[in-house]
Amino acid sequence: MSLAGSTPNRSAVELVDVTAGYWTADGFALRRFHPVLKGVSVTVRRGERVAIVGESGSGKTTLLRVVLGVLQPASGRVVVMGREIYRLPRRLRWTVTSRIGYVPQDPARSLNPRLKVRDIVMEPLERSDLTEREKMERVRDALRMVQLHESVLDYYPAQLSGGMMQRVLIARAVVHEPELLLLDEPTSALDVSIQAQVINLLNSIQRKLGCTMVVVTHDLPVAQYLADRAVLLHRGAVVEDVPFEELVRSPKSELAKLLIRSFSLVTSSANGR
Amino acid sequence: MVLAVVSRGLSVGYEEPEGVVWAVRSVSLEVEEGEAFCLAGESGCGKSTLGSAIAGILPPHAVTRGELRVGGRLVIDGGRRDFEGVRGRVVTYVPQNPGSSLSPYLTIGEQFYYVLKSTRGLRRGEALAEAREHLRRVELDPSAVLERYPHELSGGMQQRAAIALALSTGARILVADEPTSALDAHLRFQVVELLRRLRREGGLTLIFISHDLLLASALCERGAIMYAGRVVEVGSMRDLMGRPAHPYTRMLVDAIPRLGDRRPPKSYPGEPPRPGEERPGCPFRDRCPSPLSRCAVEEPPSIPLDGGRNVACWLYA
Repeated sequence: MSLAGSTPNRSAVELVDVTAGYWTADGFALRRFHPVLKGVSVTVRRGERVAIVGESGSGKTTLLRVVLGVLQPASGRVVVMGREIYRLPRRLRWTVTSRIGYVPQDPARSLNPRLKVRDIVMEPLERSDLTEREKMERVRDALRMVQLHESVLDYYPAQLSGGMMQRVLIARAVVHEPELLLLDEPTSALDVSIQAQVINLLNSIQRKLGCTMVVVTHDLPVAQYLADRAVLLHRGAVVEDVPFEELVRSPKSELAKLLIRSFSLVTSSANGR
Repeated sequence: MVLAVVSRGLSVGYEEPEGVVWAVRSVSLEVEEGEAFCLAGESGCGKSTLGSAIAGILPPHAVTRGELRVGGRLVIDGGRRDFEGVRGRVVTYVPQNPGSSLSPYLTIGEQFYYVLKSTRGLRRGEALAEAREHLRRVELDPSAVLERYPHELSGGMQQRAAIALALSTGARILVADEPTSALDAHLRFQVVELLRRLRREGGLTLIFISHDLLLASALCERGAIMYAGRVVEVGSMRDLMGRPAHPYTRMLVDAIPRLGDRRPPKSYPGEPPRPGEERPGCPFRDRCPSPLSRCAVEEPPSIPLDGGRNVACWLYA
């Protein structure tokens, strides 16, 4: 007998007609629903690298929250690693989410300032059956993978640079060898030279683990390095879902044209000098 | 040639319990009137501290050495700082995050009123009339903005309002500290376009602080690349981007993402030293792809090259 909500398929993520958003109270306890995602359908195959691209407020982070199992959509179907995550009882959702690695947006605000790096990176292994020694070995492996020296194990986040914090977050996301890696603007808080290091690091980790990678970003040039396919979100709806080459060669949506034009204008102005 | 900003051996540090941490070290620069000049480098390189020194907004625990002239006035002379009549009137400042630079409790109109009252003694009616003009210059509709609070505006609108507010004092030198980094990619170019037009129309001198060399070169004629508090290369943006001399400038140029070219960006290992880290020799030597033995013991001086360029690297000695 299969577990509740189990659907056998080859997709890592399948969103079907998902509407999700947030509730606000408008005086006298009247609650109003503000949809952020409006009927979004996206499928990500296992092992694929996909970028969700859009402007601020387009629903990119909300989409990640839905996939992470922390924001129940108002309607639609959400299948993650073959399971309809919101049809699972809450106490069993970890069976799906424990197979996900997540890198949040802001490194400085995403690390518990009271925990040392060793405890931060070990967090996803809490429910595993590994011994303490095995867990520590996994933490060391993860640090090696993100090219951090073992000496940072006893550091607190405040003792790390922005680039090192981002590496710790990536180590935490990959320590349990996830099948699905979700990245929310993984380079937006970094300097260009560190950005290049992190892009190359993420690609090498994805190749090593063979995991599915979904990256959320507003930066098209960064997205092209981290993904083979782009899903463009505009005001909560998918306006384009194409391979990168096709997007850059012949953008169809107004958003794609705007993003490409802005970048080209900067490049041509810079070259014109 | 009239110089808007001149620094001679300028160092800026901060008093910390363990001693002074020098964020800017012996910087000598000249920015001409009407020029757009960029200060570029990674976080912690000292570009924002240098920008704050020029804008006259260093905190009280800052320590200075050397000389700085802004608009012809000697504003930093060793440890003495005197920005009276210069701060806000000759030089003005647009910070990184438009949301936090505007008071959340005042409408945009009120913010113009308080600024214009304190800098030029204008009355409310006069200030609001001027505010309308300034908002139009940054392509904002005054009737849609004046009565609004900052949180009721989008990020792009907030940044435009902040630029209008900064320029309303009549200052001719604008220090813009990463004014586009909090904005979406397509809004960045709009702000660059706006700054470019304001310069053309108003003869503004612009000090543009950024870690985005591509954006900086779209806007500025010349720039200084900073590393660990030092200026390691100064030159035209065309030279800095097209034929970088310092290995660090080369590294920054290599790391620029290029749309349509899906080869991974070239990455160099290592990170800049932390502010206050004291070591002999060139601060970039650990990350440099071609270090010399001399780099470990002696800090390179600024060496003049062709085309008005200067580079602090022993490879050119």
